[in-house]
Amino acid sequence: MNSMSLYQPRQSLIHRIDPISKIFYILAAVAVPFILPTVTVAVICLLVSAVILLLAKVFRKVIPLVGFSMVILLSVVVIQGLFMAENKIPLFRLGPLIFYQEGLSFALGLSLRVLNIISAFAILVLTTKPSDLIESLVRKGLSPKIGYVLSSVLQIIPQMTATMGTIMDAQRSRGMETEGKLAVRLKAFFPLIGPVVMNSLINTRERAMALEVRGFNSPVPKTFLNQEFKSAYSKIIQWTLILIIIMALVWRILGWLK
Amino acid sequence: MAEIKIMVTVDNLKYRYPLTEELALKGVSLEIASGEFIGVIGPNMAGKSTLCQALVGLVPQFYHGAYGGRVIIDGLDAAHIELSKLASKVGIVFQNPFTQVTGAKMTVYDEVAFGLENMGLARTEMIRRIDEALTMLDIYEFRSHNPFDLSGGQMQRMAIASIIAMRPQVIIFDEPTSQLDPQGSEEVFKAVRSLSRQGMTIIMVEHKIEKIAKYADRVLLLHQGRVVDFDRPQKVFSRPDLENYGVTAPVFTNICKGLNITDKTSGLYPVTLDDTYRQLRANNSEFGK
Repeated sequence: MNSMSLYQPRQSLIHRIDPISKIFYILAAVAVPFILPTVTVAVICLLVSAVILLLAKVFRKVIPLVGFSMVILLSVVVIQGLFMAENKIPLFRLGPLIFYQEGLSFALGLSLRVLNIISAFAILVLTTKPSDLIESLVRKGLSPKIGYVLSSVLQIIPQMTATMGTIMDAQRSRGMETEGKLAVRLKAFFPLIGPVVMNSLINTRERAMALEVRGFNSPVPKTFLNQEFKSAYSKIIQWTLILIIIMALVWRILGWLK
Repeated sequence: MAEIKIMVTVDNLKYRYPLTEELALKGVSLEIASGEFIGVIGPNMAGKSTLCQALVGLVPQFYHGAYGGRVIIDGLDAAHIELSKLASKVGIVFQNPFTQVTGAKMTVYDEVAFGLENMGLARTEMIRRIDEALTMLDIYEFRSHNPFDLSGGQMQRMAIASIIAMRPQVIIFDEPTSQLDPQGSEEVFKAVRSLSRQGMTIIMVEHKIEKIAKYADRVLLLHQGRVVDFDRPQKVFSRPDLENYGVTAPVFTNICKGLNITDKTSGLYPVTLDDTYRQLRANNSEFGK
C-alpha cells in the first residue's frame, strides 16, 4: 500500500520513545542553536541527532533528505560567499570568483541550522507511525477532526493519485496524447482534471456519510484502542530537554550581561 | 407464542432532495419486525437508496431537503435524534467498499475500532467486539493488513465488521455487492446470512434477485417512490405485472411460470431451486420422481 508516510519500522530504543518526547527533542534541537548561534553548538546538536538516527537504525534514510537540501544550501553558500553585503576579508579565489570569510561563515551557520532542523524532524517522522503521532496529539487535546484530516490525508492522497492514473489510462486508451511536449501535456491535463475532481467529490461525500454513521460527530468523549505510550523515561526526557533550553537561554542572557 | 417486536416503523414518509422538483419518496409506510430479513427491490430512481438513508437519519440530517412523515427505529425518531446516537441502533453498509474506509487507520483492526472509539467504549470492550466481528466476517487473519490492501470482497466484509462491532439492532445494506466480483459477492452474502441467523434485522437493497429470493423473509417492491408490494418473495415474484415495475423475477420463477409449476393451493410460483424441487415433488411431476 502506498502511503505518504516516511516511517521506517525497526526494533530500536528510539522507536519505543513516545511521539511527544520526540516533539520536545525537535523543539530543543531547533531552539538551542538559535539561542546560542555558534558553530560549535550547531555541530554538537547535529552530532546528537546523527547519533540518535544511528541508534534508530534509520541513518541511511536521512541521507536523501539531506542530499536534497544540500542542493539549496550549496546555492546559499555560493551566493552568501560571493555577494553578502558585509563581505570584507577574501578567503579564497576560484578563477575570477572571490569567496569572502564573512559570507561563508554566515552560510555555514545557516546550513548547520537547516541540517539540524531536518535531522531533528527526521528522527520524528522516520521512527514514529503517523497514526501514533496523531493519536498522541489528540490525547493531548488536538481536535479529533483535525487529527482525522491529518491522518487520512496520508493514505487518501495516494489513493486519489491511483484513481488519476486509472482515468489517465482510460483516456489514453481512447487515443488521447498525454506525453510529449508541454503543450500536449497541458492539453491532456484539462480533460483529466474534471473526472478526477468529480470522482474525489463523490468519494468525499460518501466517506463523510460513512463517518457519520460510525459516530464521527459523537459528543461522547473519544476513547482509544491503542494504549497510550507511557514510558518511565518520557517525563525525564521531556524535562531534561526543557532544562537544556532553559540553560541555553540563561547562558545567552549571562553572555549579554558580561 | 412470542410477541413480535416492531423494530422499524416508516409512516407516510415523503422526501424531496434539495434543488429537485419531484419527490423521491411519496408516502412510504411499512413496519419491520425484529429479526426479519427484508429485500428491497425496484428499478433505478425507485427510492431504494433514499429509503435506506432515511432509515439511518442521513435523510434529512445529512441531505436536508423537504421531509414529511416519520421513521422510528426501536422507538427513536431517525429525523431528529443525533446520528451518533442512532448509530448504536442502526448501521448502514454502502455499495462502494472503498469510500467506507476511513483512511485514517493503518490496519484492519484499527479501522474496525474507529466507530467504537467514537462511541467512547472501554478498550477491553473494544477488543472483545472487534475480535468477535472479525471472526464472524472471517477476516481475522487480515487484521494487521492495511485496509486499502484488501480485495473488494474483503474490504466490504471489513465495512460490515466495522458496523456490526457497534452492535446495531438493524443493519441496512445498500447494494453491497454491486461493485464486487462473484466471489466477493458470495463472501458478503454468506456474512449477511450469518448475521440474519443470529437474529439481527437486515434490510438489503439488491439487484441480484436470486439472492433476495433465497434469503429474504419479505420483499419490498418500490417504484417511483411508492411501495408497490411488501410481502413474501413467492407472492411478490408471482405478480403477473412484475416486469411493469422494472423488475425481472428469479430465473426459477420464470421457468416455473413457463412450465406452469405452481403451488396448487396458493397459486404462487417457486422462487428458488429448492422451492422448485419441493413443488415438483409435491405436484408429483415426473421431474420430482
